[in-house]
Amino acid sequence: MAWYDEDSWATAAFAPRLATMALTLALVLVLPILLHQFVYRRVTPTALPTFLLVGPSGAGKTALLTLTERKTVAPTHTSTSPLTIETLLPDGFTPSSSQFRSPGDPAYERARRFLLVDTPGHGKLRHFATAQLVNPTHVRGIVFVVDAASIAEEAGLTEAAEYLHDVLLALQKRYTGARTSKGPKEIPVLIAANKLDLFTALPPHLVGRALEKAVSEVRKSRAKGLKDSGVGMGMGGEDDGVDEEREWLGEGGEGNFEFRHMEEVGTGVVVKGGNVLGGEGTDVQAWYEWIAEQL
Amino acid sequence: MLDTFEILTTSGVVLWSRTYVPVGANIVNSLIRDVFIEERIQPQSEDAGQKPAYRKEGYTLKWTAAKDLGLIFVAVYQSLVHLTWIDKLLDNVRALFVGLYGEQLAKEHSSVVDCQKFGPYFDRQIQELEGASRGASSTPNVKLTPPSSSNDSAGEESPSLPVLEKSQKPLYDTSADSTPVPTPDTSRPTTPAQSHLVTGKTRPGGKLSRKDRKKSALNNSAPVSSGDEASTKRKLGGKAAGKKGRTWGEFGAEELDPDVVLDYSSTDIRDANSETEALEEIKPETWGRKTGKGQFVLKDLDEEMDAIIAEQNSKKESSAPSSGIVGSSIGAIGGLFRNVVGGKTLTKEDLAKPLQGMEQHLLKKNVAREAAVRLCESVERDLVGLKTSTFTTIESTIRTSMEKALTKILTPTSSLDLLREIQTVNSSSRPYVLSIVGVNGVGKSTNLSKIAFFLLQNHHRVLIAAADTFRSGAVEQLRVHVKNLKELSKREGGEVDLFEKGYGKDAANIAQDAVTFAAKNGYNVVLIDTAGRRHNDARLMSSLEKFGKLANPDKILMVGEALVGSDSVAQARNFNASFGPGRGLDGFVISKCDTVGDMVGTLVSMVHATGIPVVFLGVGQHYADLRGLNVGSVCRLLMS
Ligand SMILES: Nc1nc2c(ncn2[C@@H]2O[C@H](COP(=O)(O)OP(=O)(O)OP(=O)(O)O)[C@@H](O)[C@H]2O)c(=O)[nH]1
Ligand SMILES: [Mg+2]
Repeated sequence: MAWYDEDSWATAAFAPRLATMALTLALVLVLPILLHQFVYRRVTPTALPTFLLVGPSGAGKTALLTLTERKTVAPTHTSTSPLTIETLLPDGFTPSSSQFRSPGDPAYERARRFLLVDTPGHGKLRHFATAQLVNPTHVRGIVFVVDAASIAEEAGLTEAAEYLHDVLLALQKRYTGARTSKGPKEIPVLIAANKLDLFTALPPHLVGRALEKAVSEVRKSRAKGLKDSGVGMGMGGEDDGVDEEREWLGEGGEGNFEFRHMEEVGTGVVVKGGNVLGGEGTDVQAWYEWIAEQL
Repeated sequence: MLDTFEILTTSGVVLWSRTYVPVGANIVNSLIRDVFIEERIQPQSEDAGQKPAYRKEGYTLKWTAAKDLGLIFVAVYQSLVHLTWIDKLLDNVRALFVGLYGEQLAKEHSSVVDCQKFGPYFDRQIQELEGASRGASSTPNVKLTPPSSSNDSAGEESPSLPVLEKSQKPLYDTSADSTPVPTPDTSRPTTPAQSHLVTGKTRPGGKLSRKDRKKSALNNSAPVSSGDEASTKRKLGGKAAGKKGRTWGEFGAEELDPDVVLDYSSTDIRDANSETEALEEIKPETWGRKTGKGQFVLKDLDEEMDAIIAEQNSKKESSAPSSGIVGSSIGAIGGLFRNVVGGKTLTKEDLAKPLQGMEQHLLKKNVAREAAVRLCESVERDLVGLKTSTFTTIESTIRTSMEKALTKILTPTSSLDLLREIQTVNSSSRPYVLSIVGVNGVGKSTNLSKIAFFLLQNHHRVLIAAADTFRSGAVEQLRVHVKNLKELSKREGGEVDLFEKGYGKDAANIAQDAVTFAAKNGYNVVLIDTAGRRHNDARLMSSLEKFGKLANPDKILMVGEALVGSDSVAQARNFNASFGPGRGLDGFVISKCDTVGDMVGTLVSMVHATGIPVVFLGVGQHYADLRGLNVGSVCRLLMS
């Protein structure tokens, strides 16, 4: 049976038959629906606003994430991989974008939805977080969680400051490196001083002060430090970061670093205290308020 | 006894745990840090085929993982007790948990898994395994021991009913590891009446419930039904709790104590209703009723567990190459197709060839064989059991995984900011002491001078101590360097001097004197040059221990040549071990990096052998040719 025969499929496809018409009609009706489903299913979830949890290991990032997701804190251990959850802003907080909407409004409900991304804080695993900072399309804000009790010690402070320095520098680079004249949209940073329930914890404003000072130190010693290099200098062109001008955090690297310097590069930094765990319950109001402001 | 069992995700959330004795969170954290992240400890199992163990603070930790779901199963127990069934428990629990909650786990953007109902399954596993192991070790009759519920949380939830006929079958596919499993026959009681009783009783109820189970499995509501069982059992368990110990102690000789037996029957006849007909066809043994009922419930759970575990095993098997001509050819075509399109579950065999290619590639880049093998093994561990994502081949999956492994190895755990460390040490008003060791001719003095130059640029007062009292010309060489550095640093504002005591004296004493001298004269930093020594020269190496004690450097760096091949591993190891217990190297300086092009494997070999980071790279002949390490670009060079 060749295709030109009377009863071949080709002939049937063009014949005014009921089956053919029905099939065509079905195709015409179903195809757009499928297409719509395919396209919109994929796009919608990724467009959700994203908040990034970063900070040194043991600060309480994963604990905060579980608290946000399930209203109670799950026990946690050191993370080795990132984790994304989709969640709603808790009741009682109004996204700033829909302040004038009523709670029943579907748009209001939609505005409360966001993604929270937890990243591992261990020194060897920070590339998960820094990779997110290279192209933060949907990132609305970064929550830098620190353990306010460990900030009181030299080692903990240094580690947190180094990480914070790198995060802020990445944000600054993104801003200064942008091609558009308007500059990319702002990405604010919340420094969440966690574990305030512990009596060794520094109060939030001191956490901010200590971090500013320590970041200045980091900046200073980075400025003086050796250039980074890959190996094989003879190869030419292989090493980026050798001839590239190094960028200093804040205004020209002079004097002491202050968080408000970051506002010029589209990054507001605020410090707020709280505790995910604790004898007298949790206190994360200030952080959720901050997230609500960014939504 | 088991202290704690935890099921957690790689993202750090504990999904389910059972605590018998509380264990600090830091124990599991240090397992994650030392073994999974830093790979400092390569856990080795004593027997081949057994799961590796990690020891920390008197605890032994054993674990297994379900990689595609990102799960880790950890069992923690006191190192003093010897538990033979932990491996089996881990395997069974993994199969059960994955079978029950696999779908929930695969859900995106969520970390919540509703596994409240997992308790009874777990307790049952523990009971069976413990029972089986005890039975195997003692007389058959004592096999039926009551579960020693030493904890309260398990006690209230668990069925607390003894194991009857059901003995531990090799539930999980153990073809890969040949864990000796206590065979059913050795532990099964031989009383014929008993086995008859069991078969007679369980069948009617068992069948029904299996159907139910199937239905419920389809509806994906297995946890709910198991919850019902759990509650039933809790009732039963509570009632039986007081007596069961005795019952089972007498199990082998029930005729000896008729009073007790009668007593039981009278209490239990009330709730034994559905089994009456089944009971009639066998010799109605009064004690049997209660246990019959209890066992009926347990049987349900057991069957469900067996089904789940069997399903998981068969899944695992089906992913392995099927036998037969047709099967294999279809499998081969499908495999090829999936290799291109993705979505293939990787097995050891799939990975073997591409990994060999990867190993060759690494060897070409001058990575020592040992390090290359270990890297490939870690990639294999990372990938076996994973599904390749869509439109990625095995080769590219391996590449990505290898890049990740290299980045992880080369990235230091904490930052290496020499200037900051100096500042910290100086603030406690003592000089920072840095010493350099290495084999002959790798460029110790040159690199020491480069470091000195770097410090001088930062306005430090540097004292260079010539502690190479062995090789003639060494002191003179340093003198020339110091003269040059003085010249260069005149404008910068730093200050450098040489501390020398000639030849033949003990290096350790000179170093100590230099430190004292520096402290008295207000130097910030003391740099100590040492004599080059072969890493396999035991006499010279042993003097390093004394050196470490007397000079007590804040940092000991070892200089290694980028050119050196497979010797690098042994060099790094021996030097790292030469300072005695509690002290090791703090970092490497890799010299002559400009001469090797992209063959930078030595870096990886040295870091991999010791877990110690590379601090500096020497990249040329000039004092300024010293660099920090850029992990990204080294990885790119290695993978190119
Ligand atoms: N006292 C107290 N402990 C807290 C608080 N928040 C978190 N923790 C504890 O801190 C520990 C570490 O918390 P995680 O959330 O696992 O830390 P993380 O930031 O995710 O750490 P990495 O995953 O290693 O990066 C856990 O044992 C928490 O229980 C708090 O507010 N107060
Ligand atoms: Mg975490």
